Amino acid sequence: MKKILNYLVIILIAPLLASCSAGVETQTNDEVSLILGAYTTPREAYGEIIPLFQEYWLSETGQKVTFEESYLGSGAQSRAVVEGFEADIVALSLEADVNRIQEAGLITHDWKAGEYKGMITTSIVSFAVREGNPKNIHDWMDLTQPGLEILTPNPNTSGGAMWNVLALYGAALRGKVDGVPGDDPQAASDFLCEVLSNLSVMDKAARDSILNFEMGIGDLAITYENEVLVGRQTGKTYELVIPTSTILIENPVTVVDANVDKHGIREVAEAFVNFLYTQQAQEIYAQHGLRVVNPDVAATTTELYPAVEDLFTVEFFGGWENIMVDIFGEEGVYTQAILQVQGGE
Amino acid sequence: MERSLAQSEQKAGLSQWLLRLPAILYLCIMILVPLIVIIQDGFREGLSGLWHQITLPIASHAILLTLWTSALMTIINAVMGLVTAYVLVRYDFPGKRILNAIIDLPLSIPTLVTGVMLVMLYGPQEALGGFLSERIGFQIIFAPPGIVLALLFISFPFVVRNIQPVLEDLDLSQEEAAVTLGATPWTTFRKVVLPPLTLPILSGSLLSFSRAVGEFGAVVIVAGNIPLKTQTAAVYVLGAVESENRLGASAVSILLIVISLLVLMAANAIEKHWGVHR
Amino acid sequence: MKQKKKGWGAWILIMLVVSYMGLLIVAPIFALIKGALQNGIAAVWHSITSMALLNSLFLSLKIALLVVLVQAVFGSLTAWIIVRQEFPGKSLFNNLIDLPFALSPVVVGYMLLLLFGRNGLLYPLLESLNIKVAFAVPGMFLATLFVSLPFMIREMLPVIKNLDRQQEYAAATLGANRWTVFWRVIFPQMKSALIYGVSLTLARALGEFGAVLVIGGGVQGRTETATLFIFRSIEERQNIEAYTASILLGAFSVLIVSLADRFKNIHKKKQTIKSI
Repeated sequence: MKKILNYLVIILIAPLLASCSAGVETQTNDEVSLILGAYTTPREAYGEIIPLFQEYWLSETGQKVTFEESYLGSGAQSRAVVEGFEADIVALSLEADVNRIQEAGLITHDWKAGEYKGMITTSIVSFAVREGNPKNIHDWMDLTQPGLEILTPNPNTSGGAMWNVLALYGAALRGKVDGVPGDDPQAASDFLCEVLSNLSVMDKAARDSILNFEMGIGDLAITYENEVLVGRQTGKTYELVIPTSTILIENPVTVVDANVDKHGIREVAEAFVNFLYTQQAQEIYAQHGLRVVNPDVAATTTELYPAVEDLFTVEFFGGWENIMVDIFGEEGVYTQAILQVQGGE
Repeated sequence: MERSLAQSEQKAGLSQWLLRLPAILYLCIMILVPLIVIIQDGFREGLSGLWHQITLPIASHAILLTLWTSALMTIINAVMGLVTAYVLVRYDFPGKRILNAIIDLPLSIPTLVTGVMLVMLYGPQEALGGFLSERIGFQIIFAPPGIVLALLFISFPFVVRNIQPVLEDLDLSQEEAAVTLGATPWTTFRKVVLPPLTLPILSGSLLSFSRAVGEFGAVVIVAGNIPLKTQTAAVYVLGAVESENRLGASAVSILLIVISLLVLMAANAIEKHWGVHR
Repeated sequence: MKQKKKGWGAWILIMLVVSYMGLLIVAPIFALIKGALQNGIAAVWHSITSMALLNSLFLSLKIALLVVLVQAVFGSLTAWIIVRQEFPGKSLFNNLIDLPFALSPVVVGYMLLLLFGRNGLLYPLLESLNIKVAFAVPGMFLATLFVSLPFMIREMLPVIKNLDRQQEYAAATLGANRWTVFWRVIFPQMKSALIYGVSLTLARALGEFGAVLVIGGGVQGRTETATLFIFRSIEERQNIEAYTASILLGAFSVLIVSLADRFKNIHKKKQTIKSI
């Protein structure tokens, strides 16, 4: 008897399950749903921008927009979208992660065309050190202090980690690291090894890295300037150190064509992306520790975001395509370095 | 009586299959299909491709780290499980019932929560963790000891609960006889008490080992995840999945599956042949 | 109960066990509770009443209950045919049943992704039916179903093995049909094991993390279970939320299992009394 009852319940549940999944995409004219897939760093910023956009869109069109947000490491998020996560908009840490989605055929427009080349915010690689800077960290060379414990995320899963490695290696190549001759790939690579040998934890994403630092692990975290500033905003007392030479982190944002067309919400999705460039939104980014692309807003925040002595970009390496092979490929500089460093112990 | 038995056995043919089919289908779909998918993916480039992935330095280190931390944990767990079971069965003391109830806690607590709790207690900023890492230089969190600790937590019930019923059924008179004949407590324990317990200890240990090899939730919070230092196989697979090294993910997963299966089969064989209750 | 007179050796052992369990199990739990309360009870209450936390708990429960339902039926069924029937491949299945127990949840999630992801085998079929599995609740349901597979079956196996077949034959002789035999003779003996199996399955399902992370994506409000909520809260520095949710989840699971355990013991006593 009970078995029959159980079978009955199963038969009833099955359509419930099916309706669960199918039902979510129904859009009426009065209410639409946008899915945002972002990397971890701008979490707080989007927390404020989204309500503003919702207000704006409601007053402009009378349509109510609800958001579903997911925050993962940039690489992880990019892969999730490729694997089937139907994000309408992606806001990631680096261009390569967006390229991956494009190569999967999900982005079909030229997202890099446009005034800001698809970039919405920027930041720089810098260091978070303990209050009072007890280990006296001022520049890259200080990272090779023996016994120093460094945190940085794992380049396999974290866009943030890739920037960190690029900044390190790039500064060395450019001759901006004391004691390391410029234009010398071997010397720069050796320097990379030296720093890598001081690594104590490699987390999945930039946010995890700084959180561990807050927990008392390590003496210093190589991270985005943004993460340090946001952390300080919550009352943490670690300090920000900006090296003399570092890389400009450019963060892209774009609509995912395949998904917006499938969900039928291209208009509102594109409106959201455009909204992110407005003064309002850019100011919010600036309040949350991100450098912005909007020159007006940028001009008003120079105190918070001092200029960097030697700022370079991925172009120094010849773009992401070259980077993914030369530095992070199976025979790449970083891959070789980490093997050398850890294998030798 | 025989006639109605025969009748019901005849009807059994159809209803047997009625029962059998959904169950087999269920098992096939739930276990065989994903298994086949991952095996197929892992052998995409043949056995050599799979071997290459497993022997990559980072992967092989992760696998070895997983194996030795699980093995170390299993040994500690076997010893402490035995002592705990012995204490609970043979002695009476205030708070015994509470202790008995606590043993089962790790089974119900989500592994992620386990990780969170351990970091809260042993993280360098906390009283205990800070004390240990500063005074003694012994780091627990984000180091192999943390991994062993997390594994110990989640595996604790297995050996204890395996031993308890067997110990309870043991006849005290044998031990008493041994003592009368002049044996020391330790000899008595070794020669009289321990032998019948060997099999439950063994099967409980094998169970906890195979469980530990695949553990993710507790370890990922506690371990630090540095490739070639504190990254276990399960976390390596996550990294491989997230960095699109699909072959690597499948290859290492297959290895983990094989290890788990072998250990489980050994545990099952022991139980079957020697009739130990679980 | 066989008790011995305690010498000082016994007390050393007892203290050893108590301190081991104290450090290993009790201390972390206390640290968690202390951590949750560090900003006072009001902060805890505030977290309990947050929509995100409640939604995540609700989702976890929804998935877990569904899983329990399916496992109760199919798990018992599977245990039944393993005990009572012979068929080709039976011992293979018997060994495979324990596999989810030892398998890393990440591997489970990955296997499901291989099946249901955009490049997965079943994706085209599901797309045409407009069913989303990966990065949606059905995928998380399947993942949870997989990892909790062994619990029910393993609980039911010994009970079904020990069923009193004499009673079944007797009932059949007396003219009872198969359903009556099942309901009146077989089922009562299975009841307590069924309930205990349900509780173990429920606890396991509620606590699932790795697999649902990989297959679900942790989308707030849609695919965020309690465990994923805890994970996210830690990331967002909402520690009180994380600890509170951990305590809620843990306490709930522990409660369910201990209730079922008590029921099992009471039932066992009743059975022994009955059989005398």
